[in-house]
Amino acid sequence: MPLFTGKNKTPLGIYIHVPFCRSKCQYCDFYSVTTKEDKWIFGYQEAVCQHIREAGPLAPDYIVDTIYFGGGTPSFFGADGMAAILAAIRKSFTVSNNAEITFEANPDSVSDRLLRRLHSEGFNRVSLGIQCDDNDILKRIGRPHSYEQAVAAVRRIRKFRFKNLSVDLMYGLPGQTLEAWERTLKNVLKLQPEHISCYGLQVEEGTPLYEYKDYCNLADDDTQAEMYLSAVEILRQHGYRQYEISNFCRKGNVSRHNLKYWNGEPYLGFGPNASSDFGGSRFTIVRDLPAYIEGIRTGGQVLTEVQEIGSRDRAGEYLMMKLRTVGGIDPKVYEKRFLLPFAPLEKYLYECKDRNLASKTFDGRWHLTPNGFLVSNSIISDLLLIQEQQ
Amino acid sequence: MTDLSKIRNFSIIAHIDHGKSTLADRLLEECAAIDKREMEEQILDSMDLERERGITIKATAATLNYKADDGETYALNLIDTPGHVDFNYEVSRSLAACEGAILVVDASQGVEAQTLANTFLATDAGLEVLPVINKIDLPSARPQEVKQEIEDIICVPAEDAPEISAKNGINIHSVLEMIVKDVPAPKGDRNAPLQALIFDSQYDSYRGVIVYTRIKEGSVCAGMDIKMMATGAVYKVVEVGTMSPKGLIPRDALGAGEVGYITASIKTVSDTQVGDTITTVDNPAATPLPGYRQVQPMVFSGVYPADGAKYQDLREALEKLKLNDASFVYELENSIALGFGFRCGFLGLLHMEIIQERLEREYNLDLITTAPNVSYRVTTNDGVVHMVDNPLDYPDPMDIQLAEEPFVKVNLMAPQEYVGNIMDLATSRRGEFKDMVYLDANRVELHYEMPLNEIIYDFFDALKSRTRGYGSLDYELIGYRPSRLVKLDILLNGDIVDALSFILFADNAYPRARKICERLKDNIPRAQFEIPVQAAIGGKIIARETIKALRKDVLAKCYGGDITRKKKLLEKQKEGKKRMRTFGTVSVPSEAFMAVLKLDED
Repeated sequence: MPLFTGKNKTPLGIYIHVPFCRSKCQYCDFYSVTTKEDKWIFGYQEAVCQHIREAGPLAPDYIVDTIYFGGGTPSFFGADGMAAILAAIRKSFTVSNNAEITFEANPDSVSDRLLRRLHSEGFNRVSLGIQCDDNDILKRIGRPHSYEQAVAAVRRIRKFRFKNLSVDLMYGLPGQTLEAWERTLKNVLKLQPEHISCYGLQVEEGTPLYEYKDYCNLADDDTQAEMYLSAVEILRQHGYRQYEISNFCRKGNVSRHNLKYWNGEPYLGFGPNASSDFGGSRFTIVRDLPAYIEGIRTGGQVLTEVQEIGSRDRAGEYLMMKLRTVGGIDPKVYEKRFLLPFAPLEKYLYECKDRNLASKTFDGRWHLTPNGFLVSNSIISDLLLIQEQQ
Repeated sequence: MTDLSKIRNFSIIAHIDHGKSTLADRLLEECAAIDKREMEEQILDSMDLERERGITIKATAATLNYKADDGETYALNLIDTPGHVDFNYEVSRSLAACEGAILVVDASQGVEAQTLANTFLATDAGLEVLPVINKIDLPSARPQEVKQEIEDIICVPAEDAPEISAKNGINIHSVLEMIVKDVPAPKGDRNAPLQALIFDSQYDSYRGVIVYTRIKEGSVCAGMDIKMMATGAVYKVVEVGTMSPKGLIPRDALGAGEVGYITASIKTVSDTQVGDTITTVDNPAATPLPGYRQVQPMVFSGVYPADGAKYQDLREALEKLKLNDASFVYELENSIALGFGFRCGFLGLLHMEIIQERLEREYNLDLITTAPNVSYRVTTNDGVVHMVDNPLDYPDPMDIQLAEEPFVKVNLMAPQEYVGNIMDLATSRRGEFKDMVYLDANRVELHYEMPLNEIIYDFFDALKSRTRGYGSLDYELIGYRPSRLVKLDILLNGDIVDALSFILFADNAYPRARKICERLKDNIPRAQFEIPVQAAIGGKIIARETIKALRKDVLAKCYGGDITRKKKLLEKQKEGKKRMRTFGTVSVPSEAFMAVLKLDED
């Protein structure tokens, strides 16, 4: 293989949705099934591999530089299946030598065998769902593991020389206080992960939590805001730089894959309910495992939503996604790419600056402050309105 | 022309919900003016609002050809009347077109305030009042007691009143026979100068205004030059005829005693005012018929499009509504807060709600309406008298010599156990007690004089809830009286929102101001900064609330699969903002205006 393969190719991210879980968490609205029957596990694996083989030839000018196995619970699905899918990707796409290859894991399914196998296959980043250090709360929200299991999992992940570990934490959980949240952060900091995601609990319609949200002692908006600002501050003191609303890292260990979403770069998704942004369109695969398997097997339709995104839409998405990041938006890029004036937006952003919600960098870019991130929906929808009225 | 002795002109009067319209439908059916299948269609064709609210808004009329038990065929002219105090004048003109009135009384509810008020209107007009006991098939029906009530309270013989169920078609025939026997035949000289009473009119885009009229004296036919005696408008008659539920039936001529329509290429309903007299140019009547009055709007409110760009649409819709409703007036208004809109005058609160609902439904407009107010009479120091129906025009307090507000005489009726509740309510609305009359052992009528302003918001609802639905109400204007009035301004983030200003009685200002501030606080979404909500009288702040700054509105996660969905969420939020009105830096959704309007509901 020539050394400089891909030099002139466009970078591409690949997302594999692994829709298997041991049990459903109370707050989760991602697509997954709680089965491990061979029929579904192998049916799924086969379908994804075939899907990848069919898609590869359609992307000859791309080089895959990030691969992300998300879920669901990829670690519950197992190492063999992930290895097989990764092999299929390598075979059908050009994969960069220094690609970031992530898998999501839950503490209860991180075995030595799994870690050994995935490390040898080239996986180099683990995203571990810890959420919180209080076993009562973990139980209440339906997590199938304890905090002690999470600590043990981190130790094993390090043992197998994964150098890039990310942990997921949640604030605003039922019964969680500001003090408890700060304690969780301090305990998790002892584990020295390279990357931390702190997610405010979102109560989504259709989840079990939604049904009893008013009766489970959820923190109010003001408390959640305190929790968020406190996390930003504590993590900063410990050397974690915030680079997105909910994401923090040490020493530049950003999630390269996730940055593609926020930067509007192309990605392809495989597996039920996976989404893609490719060739100017965004499309989503059917949210149904049997239908996905059947569709791939028979050459039928597996996409439920295909949307061509026009330039005007892209301009809106640019604001919406880029303002999630600390990189923020660049007036020069905006005007050049979308042929729209930035001045009306900037006038509004100056108002935000006066309220300590936004900040302008020395080179003219705009990004939100932690206080601004907290009300980013309000700011972005204002900007979208201003944009529309141009 | 039908022989006078074979004509009966009658109306149906009732308290709201006692079954007036249902009986009218049943009479049409019985006379085969319309069959069951068409009945459905007719129901569908009439105004949705009327059906939903169970009230008649526009008067309608129809001729029924009825073959009576005596073998003769009679032309029964049914003139339906609107059934709400807002439309008292219209009711009185419809009644003036009749010789008799069927008084429908609910067999379980008995006599209520509007039963009484409408009966008085009918007897004042010299009509024969014929009671009918309706809803006889209900388990709670008590026909004998109700008949006694009718005799005791309104002094109308009721012993032989037909006991019917309009809903289930029981005994309808006896009502028709009663009409033939007991409603006097009309009188009049068909060769005398023309005197025709206008009791309604309607705009038709092909024929112009269709005037509904009762010929009192003389005759009218196509080709005649006619003159409206009050407005002075002159037209040449194009067509005359009678109304059937299926449509208009042209006739050669209409003569005294008959009820029918006239078309004359009339462009606007304001030329054909209800109550006016039509005569001929060549042989005019010496005097018009009595009772004409120019309709005066009593309640005023600003009506604005929720989306400022829809101003033209609103203007066109108002023009169209006005074609058919001479009692409703509007003029251009410009608010700093809401932009261009209209100050509209209505007969009453119901009339206002109806117009607003029709604008929203039939013309698909989103509206912002300002708090309704009455017309105040203000004399300034220079001696000039101003009629102020818009708070924006209220003079500076320093310049005011005398402020007056309109008062009404209110008749309230309810079972006696609610007298205490009614008195509390009336007193809290500045009612001045006049007297109380026992109508029978159980039923009481209370008379109050109170400011019209106190009734126009929600008095009727409050009365209903404090009397478990048994209380009823009727009122009439008695004139202007001096009052201590103030103009209350609302400030958002320090800026006066002119559209929220209103005039009220000084003593009510503090509690009202506090409540408005609370309501606005609850209905204005948190912004990215703190918003003070203040109420002030002449620059002095009398109430304050604070809308705290928005703390958290964020999508914690937004990855590949979320983008489409989250984008929709933000788009929706953006669209919501579009519908808000921005005052300085504060965005106010139209719900906030509504919340201020509905202030008295709790």
